[in-house]
Amino acid sequence: MRTVNRMVIATAALLGLFVATYLLLYKLGAFPALICGAGGACETVQASPYAYFLGVPVAAWGTLAYVVMLTVAFLGTQPRFESRPWVGVALLVLTAGAFLFSLYLSFLEEFVIGAWCRWCVVSAILSTIAFLAALPEIGRLRRDPGPSA
Amino acid sequence: VAQRQRKGSPTKGGGNGVFYAVLAVIAVGGIAAIGYALVGGGSGAAATEMVTDLDVADTRALYDQAVPMRLGPADAPMKIVEFGDYQCPGCAAFSLQVRPQIMSYIESGLAQLVYYDFPLGGGHIHSFLAARATRCAAEQDLPTGDNAYWRYHDKLFQEQSTWSAKRSVADDFVAYGEELGLDGGALEECVNSERYADVVTANKLLGDQLGVRGTPTVLVNNRRIGGQTIQSMGDELLEVLQAAQQERGTGG
Repeated sequence: MRTVNRMVIATAALLGLFVATYLLLYKLGAFPALICGAGGACETVQASPYAYFLGVPVAAWGTLAYVVMLTVAFLGTQPRFESRPWVGVALLVLTAGAFLFSLYLSFLEEFVIGAWCRWCVVSAILSTIAFLAALPEIGRLRRDPGPSA
Repeated sequence: VAQRQRKGSPTKGGGNGVFYAVLAVIAVGGIAAIGYALVGGGSGAAATEMVTDLDVADTRALYDQAVPMRLGPADAPMKIVEFGDYQCPGCAAFSLQVRPQIMSYIESGLAQLVYYDFPLGGGHIHSFLAARATRCAAEQDLPTGDNAYWRYHDKLFQEQSTWSAKRSVADDFVAYGEELGLDGGALEECVNSERYADVVTANKLLGDQLGVRGTPTVLVNNRRIGGQTIQSMGDELLEVLQAAQQERGTGG
């Protein structure tokens, strides 16, 4: 099975989608409080100015990113799209972007906000898994650079 | 071509089948979890922490939202404002020892006690829930006709050393209500919800804005009562009230 890594990405993206959706619904006021364990750090993080990126809640960016990641990774497991090079390129770009953004958010949590949000950590772990799972795409692109080859 | 695809499908379809099953399980679980959270989250969702969506900058709105609990007539000339925390021993002493000393002034119409919740947080992990529980108790009437809120308020302070060190206190809070004659079911339902999380949070934020640093903080007509001990605070409060009483007596 040549697309196991894409299945891993799709699975991580689906899990991430629910985490991001939960945080987004909270941000939109659907829940009064987050289920976060002791400490309430989730709400500290969510209430910080860093919960917005370009004026849009970070959770909304996360939801969007995971939806696109899930769609591309899922299509990449289908025979019709399996060997299209754009799938590999898109997965690398998306997962690298998500990974770097998670790193940035984790940096903020540790050094600026001073509080860790459990759900954000889960999301960071998922985006790291997705990024690692996307790395084999580099080899695949080298072997099979496109339909013309 | 169709046949070749069908021929090739068992192995590939088998692998994809597991993949689809995993996705389906996650999708169903995720939707169920979010749906569960949306409909109220059940008994595990008791709000034990401050809400974060209050606009601190809008002091007027914050003041309106920060509903205190009052004892005594609304037109009383002396307003005794207290900021308290249910896990603070000084607040227990104030409520259980000082308040009985000033009750005559409250009953005579000279003074009104205005109590704001000021859950300190930190090590006082239950004080937010305790404040919410007292607000829940206030929803009910006692068969005796006593004020349910103030009876419950005192009960939590009386039992403070019992529940304060416990890991989980929601059941104790319900039991205390039942001991007083409150409807335990209604109290439990309220305690295990988000109710009054916003009001208690607004109480705390208002205190923050007013510069309250610790508990109990007591003000009489906007003048802060100092004192090194709760008893000296009580003595000063009594002096102020006695002076006001005399003034009222000579003036009227």
